[in-house]
Amino acid sequence: MDEKRRQLMQGMAAAGALAASGIREAGAQAAVPGTIDTAEIKKLKVPAMEYHSERPLTGSVPAHAHDFDVTPNDRMFIRNNLLIPAVDIDKHRLTIRGLVDQERSWSVYELAKAFTPVSVQGMLECAGSGRTNFHPKASGTPWGATGGMGCPKWGGVRLADVLKAAGLKPGAAHVAGQGVDPGMVATAAPVIRSIPMAKAMDDNTLIAWAMNDQPLPWIHGYPLRLVVPGWVGSASTKWLATLTVLDAPFKGTYMTGSYITPRHAIEPGHKMPADVVSTEAWPVKSMITSPAPNAKAKAGAPITVRGRAWVGQGQIERVEISSDEGKTWQRAQLAPAGDPRFGRYAWRTFTYEHKPSGPGYVTFLARAWDDRGNAQPAVSTWNPLGYFWNGWHRVGVVVEA
Amino acid sequence: LLKLSVLLFLVSTASAQDDRLISGPGSTLTENKCKICHELQHIRRLPLSRGEWADNLKNMKERGTPMDDAEMAIILDYLATYYNREKPAPPPGPDTLFSEGSPIEKLLAANACSGCHSLDKRVVGPSFREVAAKYPAAAANQLIRKIREGGQGSWGSVPMPPNPGLSETDAATIVAWVLQQR
Repeated sequence: MDEKRRQLMQGMAAAGALAASGIREAGAQAAVPGTIDTAEIKKLKVPAMEYHSERPLTGSVPAHAHDFDVTPNDRMFIRNNLLIPAVDIDKHRLTIRGLVDQERSWSVYELAKAFTPVSVQGMLECAGSGRTNFHPKASGTPWGATGGMGCPKWGGVRLADVLKAAGLKPGAAHVAGQGVDPGMVATAAPVIRSIPMAKAMDDNTLIAWAMNDQPLPWIHGYPLRLVVPGWVGSASTKWLATLTVLDAPFKGTYMTGSYITPRHAIEPGHKMPADVVSTEAWPVKSMITSPAPNAKAKAGAPITVRGRAWVGQGQIERVEISSDEGKTWQRAQLAPAGDPRFGRYAWRTFTYEHKPSGPGYVTFLARAWDDRGNAQPAVSTWNPLGYFWNGWHRVGVVVEA
Repeated sequence: LLKLSVLLFLVSTASAQDDRLISGPGSTLTENKCKICHELQHIRRLPLSRGEWADNLKNMKERGTPMDDAEMAIILDYLATYYNREKPAPPPGPDTLFSEGSPIEKLLAANACSGCHSLDKRVVGPSFREVAAKYPAAAANQLIRKIREGGQGSWGSVPMPPNPGLSETDAATIVAWVLQQR
């Protein structure tokens, strides 16, 4: 074993972030040049994964297959604009350039050794998660009612530490991430998204190499990715190779043509107006992860409604359940928030006990509130690209005599 | 088991062939350009207004679709006619904007080859003449496999996407023709 690998293993084992055997295995596979076949990706996912498209591969599990405090790797959603690169971890480097005192570059091993490894649980959610709830239909990946999100535990180093090591020049305002994923054609624009410095410096924003204590799976960015928890997923660049520090938001099609919403609400079904904003943090949201839709219950026996609630900035303040179509709401039990340094943007589990009065069918609605007075709306504001659906999630249960 | 694999083969061939748009003026060009990167179900599932299609095409061009303004205009007219959320589609008709070529041209167009390759100019991938100059006739089977499974590295780092929906026979027809273009 050479010196750099030994150091890496020591560093990562100490952080509990990465199984040494795992990285060896994945590294050996990564020697294959080119891209990863989608069949290989699917082998690593649960059968409950629902795919909407093969090219590009997109998929997610429904809410009732999401009943975990921490999302396992095989249940994390798949969304990607370009092809899935087969990266050789031994050759991969991260370079930081732009408005920095010194352009710098690290191998994955050097990065793990140079900075303090941390482990953060955080939400990643596609901007279009839940898109098929919108009427009229909105353009883009047809995520189901709750499709397109997950909340794993990420291991890596803080982006802030790396930025500080490079030294920010005056005027540094945005950080753009770029991966090594190739397009289908030579003319394909690279997927580049930038985030403002405040979010880049947030202690929950990571350069990650691990997901739930395993090396990142291919589809989730092996060997290195950004994790910008709470924000739209596209901010969390996968297969990360370049960070560019800029004095303004990056100008490119994935900033100005996609991941945008009208600044002011427009009539549903109309095209994107000229005045738009870039999508950033997710608004307050929740879903019922148990029981499954149309599950059977017994009259007289209590039904435990369980789910997850999250918000991209601020905190979840409370979650309420209605069993009468929103006429009255009862407060659910909310699990305590964890250490904000390692999970400020993690989802929180809620539970609620309901005693059905008699046989029939009962429909539960979930509505979360954040600490700034925002509540989930019944129906979210329509926008042409179908972003930020956070309407009430509903699950019905059959109550048998 | 043999029956099952035959059935699976038929199912998979059928689904690849079913990934088509309504036939009409401009449908072939639209299919060929859009298929380079994604399945056509993304179009079928969601009729849009003409303005939204115009935005969508502009976005796809920015993302890298190789198409010129004249082609974009044809595609916009086609989509705003056959996949319009504001009015029903007319009945399918012949694609009058598609010039019927030789069987090989049809094969190239129908499988989106022409999106990236031309006879004598480098578009995205190598020209057919360059391919013919590089490979001997004995490499035919290797090329058939490359077309069906995709590849990368022979002509730079841009990968060629796989074409699992293309039958071995059609791939062989294409390769035999390409290798003659010296």
